[in-house]
Amino acid sequence: MTSRGTPSRFLQSVLQNGVGRYVCQLKRLSIIFSKNAQSSLGIRGFIEEGVVDYAKYNPSTVVYVSPQPCRIPKIVAEYLNGNVREEIVTGKTSIQISEVLTKLTNQSGLDIIRLRKPFHTDNPSIQGQWHPFTNRPPCIGPIRPQKQDAEQGLSNI
Amino acid sequence: MALCRGAGLLLRTLLPGNPLLFPAACRTQSSVSGVLVPWTSLTSPPWPEQMPPVCEVEDARRQAAVVSTVNGSIERQDYGRLFAVVHFASRQWKVTGEDLILIENHVEAGCGETIRMEKVLLVGAEDFTLVGRPLLGRDLVRVEATVIEKTESWPKVHMRFWKRHRYQRKMIIVQPQTVLRINSIELAPRLS
Repeated sequence: MTSRGTPSRFLQSVLQNGVGRYVCQLKRLSIIFSKNAQSSLGIRGFIEEGVVDYAKYNPSTVVYVSPQPCRIPKIVAEYLNGNVREEIVTGKTSIQISEVLTKLTNQSGLDIIRLRKPFHTDNPSIQGQWHPFTNRPPCIGPIRPQKQDAEQGLSNI
Repeated sequence: MALCRGAGLLLRTLLPGNPLLFPAACRTQSSVSGVLVPWTSLTSPPWPEQMPPVCEVEDARRQAAVVSTVNGSIERQDYGRLFAVVHFASRQWKVTGEDLILIENHVEAGCGETIRMEKVLLVGAEDFTLVGRPLLGRDLVRVEATVIEKTESWPKVHMRFWKRHRYQRKMIIVQPQTVLRINSIELAPRLS
């Protein structure tokens, strides 16, 4: 739908990731596939070649491989903030599945909804927030209207 | 006939060669950047224009004082938090340490890698600002950022519809996004 009808959030990171050290947000990957079905052909090929390398390159992510009798092969990704994402990989080739895995690894677990602002600061103002009296000289004495004739005219009325 | 004569008279009065509106020194189609707009009663205010008295010695002394104060505070590193205006991904961002930036395209660095932003236009602390013309030197400021996340945007609907023409097209656009965390802004201890 439109951005007004769908939920939105502000740009944020999980637990100030990146301020000190960068931590990969992907906690667990479960690959659910079938041993004999045609839809899991790419997944089976990926498990033969690429899973071990992937697990070696990403030591902070745990990879579970579970062959089950199922029609639709899935990859279930769990993140450090508790969100769970399921990607359906029916009919994908081994290379496409590795691309899907890199995408899941690079994501943090925050919802993929509309972002209200493309920036986030905790210290928006350093030199002081502007208000109408900044950079104006202070005045000596009370602030009065300039002309005395106007006052006399008003008092006559 | 009378209409044509009247139109001809009007045209003659409105020709750009009218000497009352356009002073003789100005040409309408010249490449010289001089008087381009005709001088009317509202061009300049009715009071006499007063320029402030220019004293070059005073100005030079003030400038030297400001430069020495700023240099001193930079060498002692006693400014607090710094902010910078950085040109990145065809946009300018006002940036401090520890803040997040979203770039709507692919950045050529993996997650967790550090990037140095080189096009810095302005750097400021609480008491002073350094303004570049248009950029500040590379050996003066150093802005570093880490790539935190490389996702895709939410699926945006791009719909074209013409009413009463039986035409509609719907496309779903998903763009790659990169989130950067600004780690630090550092100033070098020497200014010229």
